[in-house]
Amino acid sequence: MALRGQALRWRSFFNLKTAIVLACIALVAWFGAAFALDNKQVFLPGETSVGHYIFETSCASCHEGFKPVSNETCMRCHEAEMAEDKHGPSKFRDPRWAGELEKIEALTCTTCHNEHVHMFGRGVHLQPDLCMNCHQGIIEGGLKSHDGFAADGCWTAGCHNYHDHRSISTGFLIENIDQPPMLPVQQLPDRSVFTKVETAPNPDLTQEFLGGGT
Amino acid sequence: MTLIRSLGRLVVIVGILLGLTWGDIDSALASPVDQAQIDEATQLWQTSAHAFNEINCSSCHESKETKEFVAQPGVESCQTCHEQDVDTFLLGQHGIRMLEGETPLTPAMARLPMQPDAMNRQMTCNSCHDVHSVNTMQAAVDSCLSCHSDNHSLNYGNSRHADLFAVDRNLPRPSANSVSCATCHLPRHETGSGDNAITLVNHNNTYTLLPRDRMVKDVCMNCHGMEYSYNSIFDDDLVEANFDAPPTLALETFELVRDFEARRTDQGDG
Repeated sequence: MALRGQALRWRSFFNLKTAIVLACIALVAWFGAAFALDNKQVFLPGETSVGHYIFETSCASCHEGFKPVSNETCMRCHEAEMAEDKHGPSKFRDPRWAGELEKIEALTCTTCHNEHVHMFGRGVHLQPDLCMNCHQGIIEGGLKSHDGFAADGCWTAGCHNYHDHRSISTGFLIENIDQPPMLPVQQLPDRSVFTKVETAPNPDLTQEFLGGGT
Repeated sequence: MTLIRSLGRLVVIVGILLGLTWGDIDSALASPVDQAQIDEATQLWQTSAHAFNEINCSSCHESKETKEFVAQPGVESCQTCHEQDVDTFLLGQHGIRMLEGETPLTPAMARLPMQPDAMNRQMTCNSCHDVHSVNTMQAAVDSCLSCHSDNHSLNYGNSRHADLFAVDRNLPRPSANSVSCATCHLPRHETGSGDNAITLVNHNNTYTLLPRDRMVKDVCMNCHGMEYSYNSIFDDDLVEANFDAPPTLALETFELVRDFEARRTDQGDG
């Protein structure tokens, strides 16, 4: 009888409530361990983009606590790509375009380039027709040659680049149209190599290498 | 007893989960070298650009501050002279983990297909460069193919580009006429002018990779016309085949530009 009573008590103890409590403890322990062991993959809210996944567990690279990711954070790495941004602050200081910022907050990187969400190419999470926020008129009679064009074709059909007009852009295409497949001079930059002396000096370490070391 | 057993099971499950989530930990320990290895390295160094610039063993294998011997110099050592190369390397996919204070990249972390026997190799300067010979032929193609095994990489040998590179095989570095992996993915660029002109290598391997139009202007158009270049780079199949044939794609954008130019000329005439 005593034995049976004890078994009953155990069974009543191990009910749904206990299971939930144990699950919570396990989760807290898991997250805690993830923090303690500096393995933060478990905190990722979604798939990281192709450009960033390689260091996706380095949360602090982009995030400072729970603050929104700032432009400065992005520019730590992307300065070269953004050297001549055609949709940068100087464009929107012009009163002709300043009002457009009300349609889309174009001066914040994350407006178009969010992370850990689905991307439509080029690290852009907005639908590919995002240019229509401001340029819809162009395909609706504003520019005859573009009448009836698809709303999502501006940057997906090989015609326009939002940030950089040094390469693909109307001016660049006009300038280089009708070039032959092979240019008259086919040459890449040659590597600069300088030398100080004509013969190699004597090696200044030898036996040190036999020891191994760090 | 049941509770203890349940807790025991919980610990095991959490343990397995942790094990599954968190991969293997590599330990890289320096092993002693023998005389033959020292002789080989010395021989390679003696005909290298390092030797002819009086960069001696101690330049890299000795700590500047403590004068202590360093068996395996790290990226910081290269950086003391090759600042631009390392700075750009750290911004690309290959180096970004190091910039962010993480362990160096290994092929096992990549989403692209990689050679099975290279999975645990760590990506630092000497993963691609033989630092003693300072021969960049190896770094331009062979080093890439020692890890990368996607179709684009494996098809490189089928392209005209590879034929041009083969001509340069015995040079210490690829000439201005050959096209290697590095030509497109770690492109050379000229800075400065006159006596200060210098050609550097952009080691940010992601810079010309995406978007593709950046590669067209910076690399392809050194040799190819614009239309040929865009029609090639925007053709996924041709990219996968590593440009083994002229492009068959004809982007509408060029017709649009030609029409535009024709109309403008007409108006000018009228």
